[in-house]
Amino acid sequence: MISESILTAKTLRLRPADEGDLVHFQRWLADDELRRWLGSVNEQPSIAEEYDWYMSKRQDPDTILWSIEAADGSLLGNVELRLSPLNRRAEVGIGIFDRGQWGKGYGTEAMRLVLDFAFGELKLNRVELTTDEENTRAIHSYEKCGFVREGLLREHRLVDGRPSDCVAMAVLRSDWETR
Amino acid sequence: MTVAGDVRLEGELVILRTRVDDDLPLFARWHGDPDVRHWLHMSEMPNQSLEVERQRWHIARNDPTRVSFIIETLEGVPIGNIGLIGIDAAHRRAEMGIAIGEKDHWGRGYGTDAIRVVVRFAFETLNLRRVELITDADNERGIRAYEKCGFVREGVLRAKRMRYGEPLDMLVMSVLREG
Repeated sequence: MISESILTAKTLRLRPADEGDLVHFQRWLADDELRRWLGSVNEQPSIAEEYDWYMSKRQDPDTILWSIEAADGSLLGNVELRLSPLNRRAEVGIGIFDRGQWGKGYGTEAMRLVLDFAFGELKLNRVELTTDEENTRAIHSYEKCGFVREGLLREHRLVDGRPSDCVAMAVLRSDWETR
Repeated sequence: MTVAGDVRLEGELVILRTRVDDDLPLFARWHGDPDVRHWLHMSEMPNQSLEVERQRWHIARNDPTRVSFIIETLEGVPIGNIGLIGIDAAHRRAEMGIAIGEKDHWGRGYGTDAIRVVVRFAFETLNLRRVELITDADNERGIRAYEKCGFVREGVLRAKRMRYGEPLDMLVMSVLREG
C-alpha cells in the first residue's frame, strides 16, 4: 500500500509515493553505483517496469511505501516497510536516489522517522534489513539509528557476476525505547 | 524459474515428488498437529482448515519463485514436505523450508536425506549458488540435520518471529555451492 501517513522531520518529510515520482526514480536508476547498493535492481528499469513496480507495491497490503522529499519539496528517494504482521516485524528498504544529496544525513533522518512509525504506530518488535558489506556509508547510518549487526550472509548477492557478502542488521523495540 | 511438469528426485531413504492439489488433506493433518506446528510460523495461526490450506496452496502453486515437493518413503508413504521459496535467478539463491509432518518418522534420517536431495537439485538443476534458511534457535534436531548437509551458522536474528505470542530468536544458515 501507499502510506497515507505524512511523517515530518526538520530537513525532510515522508509522503505518499505517487505516479509522478516514477519518472525521477527511473532516471536515477541509470546510476550503476546506486543500483549496486540497492541490491534488488540489476538493470535500469523501463518506465513501464517502474510503473509495474509501483502498482505491485500499491496493491500489496503488507508493504508500506513512502517517497522521501527534502524540506524544499525536492524528491530524494523512497523508503518501504515489508511487514510480517504475524511476527510483528518488518524489513526496511531505503534509497536516497539523488546522488547529489548523498552524505547529508537525509537517509539517517528518514530511517529514524520510519522506525518511530514502525515501533510507535505499528507496535512492531523488530525492524530488519540486509545490506552489502562494502556499503560502509549505509551501515554507518543504520548503526546511528540503532541497528545492530546480527550476521554475515556469505555470497548473498552477485554484483556484475561477482559474489558479494551481505550484513544482516536489526533494531528491536527494546533498543529503540532505550536509545 | 518454473520447473516444468512433474519432478521425481531420488535419495537414499526418500523420494521427492512434485506437490499436487490432491495433497491438501495431508497438509491439513500435518499442520493440525501441535507438535509439528510448534516449529512453523503456523504456531501463531488458528488451526488450519482444509479451506485455508487450499487458499494458501492456490497462491503458492502459481508462484514461479517457489518449488514444492512431497517427501515420501521408498515405500511411497508421504511423510512431509520440502521446498524452495524466493528463488532469485539474478543472485542465484533461494530459501529452503522443510517439515516432517509424520511424527513417528522424526529422528530417523528422512529429513537429512530430503535436504541433501533438494540442495543438490538447487545447485545442479536450478543452477543456484546459495541455499539459505532460518530456523528456531532452539530447534536442535533441525540444526543438527542442516549442519550434516553442509549448512553453516551465519548469525542469530533476535526476536525474528513470534511463538505462542512470545518473541523468539532464529538462526540464519546457508550452504554454498563451492566449498
